[in-house]
Amino acid sequence: MYSGINISQTDARPMYLQIMEQIRARVAARDWPPGKELPSIRALAAGLNVSVITVKRAYLDLETEGVIVTRHGKGSFVAEVNGLAGELREEQLAEHLQQAAELGRQLGLTEEQLAERLRRAQRQTGRKE
Amino acid sequence: MNDKHIDMRNVRKIYRFFTLDDVSLALEPGQIMGFVGPNGAGKSTTLRLLMGMNSPDAGQIRVLGHEIPEAQAVAKRDIGFVSAEMRLLPHTTLGWHMEFMKSIYPEWDGGYAATLVKRFNLRPEQNARSLSLGEHVKATLLLALARRPRLLILDEPTTGLDPVARHEVISELMDVLRDESRSILFSSHNTVDVERISDTITFIDRGRIVDSDNKEDFLERWRRIQLQLPDGVELPALPNIVKREVDGQFVTLTTNQFSAGLRSLIGPHVTHVHRMSLEEIFVANVMHHREARAQ
Amino acid sequence: MSVVTRKLIAKELYVNRWFIVGGCVSGVVSVLIAATGKMGFNVGALTWLTTIIATGVMLGLYGIMNERKEHTLQFVLSLPLSIADYVRAKMLGLTACFLVVWLVSSGAALLLVFAKDTVADGIAPYTVLLCVFMLANFTVVLCGSLHAQSEALTSAVIVVTNMGVSIFMFTVAPLPGIEKYLSGPAPVWSSTFWTVLGCELAVLIIAFTLPFFLAARRRDFL
Repeated sequence: MYSGINISQTDARPMYLQIMEQIRARVAARDWPPGKELPSIRALAAGLNVSVITVKRAYLDLETEGVIVTRHGKGSFVAEVNGLAGELREEQLAEHLQQAAELGRQLGLTEEQLAERLRRAQRQTGRKE
Repeated sequence: MNDKHIDMRNVRKIYRFFTLDDVSLALEPGQIMGFVGPNGAGKSTTLRLLMGMNSPDAGQIRVLGHEIPEAQAVAKRDIGFVSAEMRLLPHTTLGWHMEFMKSIYPEWDGGYAATLVKRFNLRPEQNARSLSLGEHVKATLLLALARRPRLLILDEPTTGLDPVARHEVISELMDVLRDESRSILFSSHNTVDVERISDTITFIDRGRIVDSDNKEDFLERWRRIQLQLPDGVELPALPNIVKREVDGQFVTLTTNQFSAGLRSLIGPHVTHVHRMSLEEIFVANVMHHREARAQ
Repeated sequence: MSVVTRKLIAKELYVNRWFIVGGCVSGVVSVLIAATGKMGFNVGALTWLTTIIATGVMLGLYGIMNERKEHTLQFVLSLPLSIADYVRAKMLGLTACFLVVWLVSSGAALLLVFAKDTVADGIAPYTVLLCVFMLANFTVVLCGSLHAQSEALTSAVIVVTNMGVSIFMFTVAPLPGIEKYLSGPAPVWSSTFWTVLGCELAVLIIAFTLPFFLAARRRDFL
């Protein structure tokens, strides 16, 4: 089946988020390289013992994020790095940075203090993976 | 053309001490619906009505396009029914039942049946009388699954099963849905399983449908919001608050229509916003409806 | 007749196979005992009656009531059949089971009457009436079981019909058209005989066909 992808019942996060995270991790680690076909929604649902609707939602959100691409009638594939995926990511980053800058201003942080916060966050993300 | 697998509309069934009222249910092919309700809510009654074992006093029932109970013989060719109450015939073995089903249903898959016997840890030579409750459930599930019916109607299919058996049964049920032309309706108390594998969920209480929606929407709509209100601060009028608990400064609100809009309406004193498990949603939903009905 | 109905009749015969075998053996043994002399005749006759009554009760009670109680009814009703199909299969199936025992036992009894010299052939008409009465009795029990919704009512039906056996024996035997020929050397098929037989067959036919019109139309079976 899909050993390795595991949906935990005790994890407080919703199942669709867990699926998304595990797929994203595999994509980031190149285990699932760009262009690789994802299992069909029904196949993954049956393999994980999770409802079809949950897998559908995960795939939809992953597509919005640009991690995967769905070709109607053909299936879902890991997105190519340079393409719509990258653009969406760029947009998201710009948005997040803007929000961070605004929050930093509200909290009264200096540019250097805000940059330090960003560095700390990067280190944490690095550690998680 | 209506190709729903189950189309139940405004069904009414009157018993001496209980009435099933205005029950409507729809199941699309490729879907699995979890049917949840307290004991005595009317789950078994509803499922028996779908199988033509009882007739409604009002309303219409169509299963796989056939009128029920009039055309039940035809409909049941393609329906697998399992109830935790069901027992195998006495003085016979499981093997005999398998042969019996094979002789009645041409779609019987002997190979799959043999696989299930092993997977469910059963033996064909077992006499019906010697089976425990859990073994009866597994046996009747086997007899239903091996026919590969288009529709499965299951009344508490995980009753009496140990965790390993439950896992095996759930895996088999999910395998059924690899085929998008097949569907499952199952009733259960086990909200953990229902939450995990259902596409849609229907709640029933005291003979009435309380709520019915797709699972992800349920999980997104319901929230428990905790606030700490400083003295003198009042909350504005809020829509869709199903429950309000106050303990001094600490307030807990339960909502069934959570949105960013509601969040901002509530204001700045929110300390936590919790998602709710299906079990919590179920209890809150039923309590809310009982209060509403009492008024 | 649909495949399912046929299979269910076969299933009835299979599930009740031990009652059938036991009943046949008991019936034949009773007749053999009855052949052993005057005392034996009384004992044999009693066990013969008990055999047929017990078989009828077991099939009528066990075959229908227990199926409801033991929840095997849901299993059968989940098969591709209508309630009418089920009633039909039950009637035909259980009757088939009883008929095996009845034919064997009645045949053995009549064989005793005609083959054994010490048993007057004149008793043959009465024996025939008794046998047909037992068959009619069974169909009434079956009919009652299929229509009765409660175990209490079904049991009442069974008790009443069994009382009927005694009543039959006490009222029919002394009938003028029957009594005087009982110990005769040859069977006399008097008009009384035909009248009683006619009544029995009428009851039998009514009891047998009623479920096909009533119980089969039931909209609630559980």
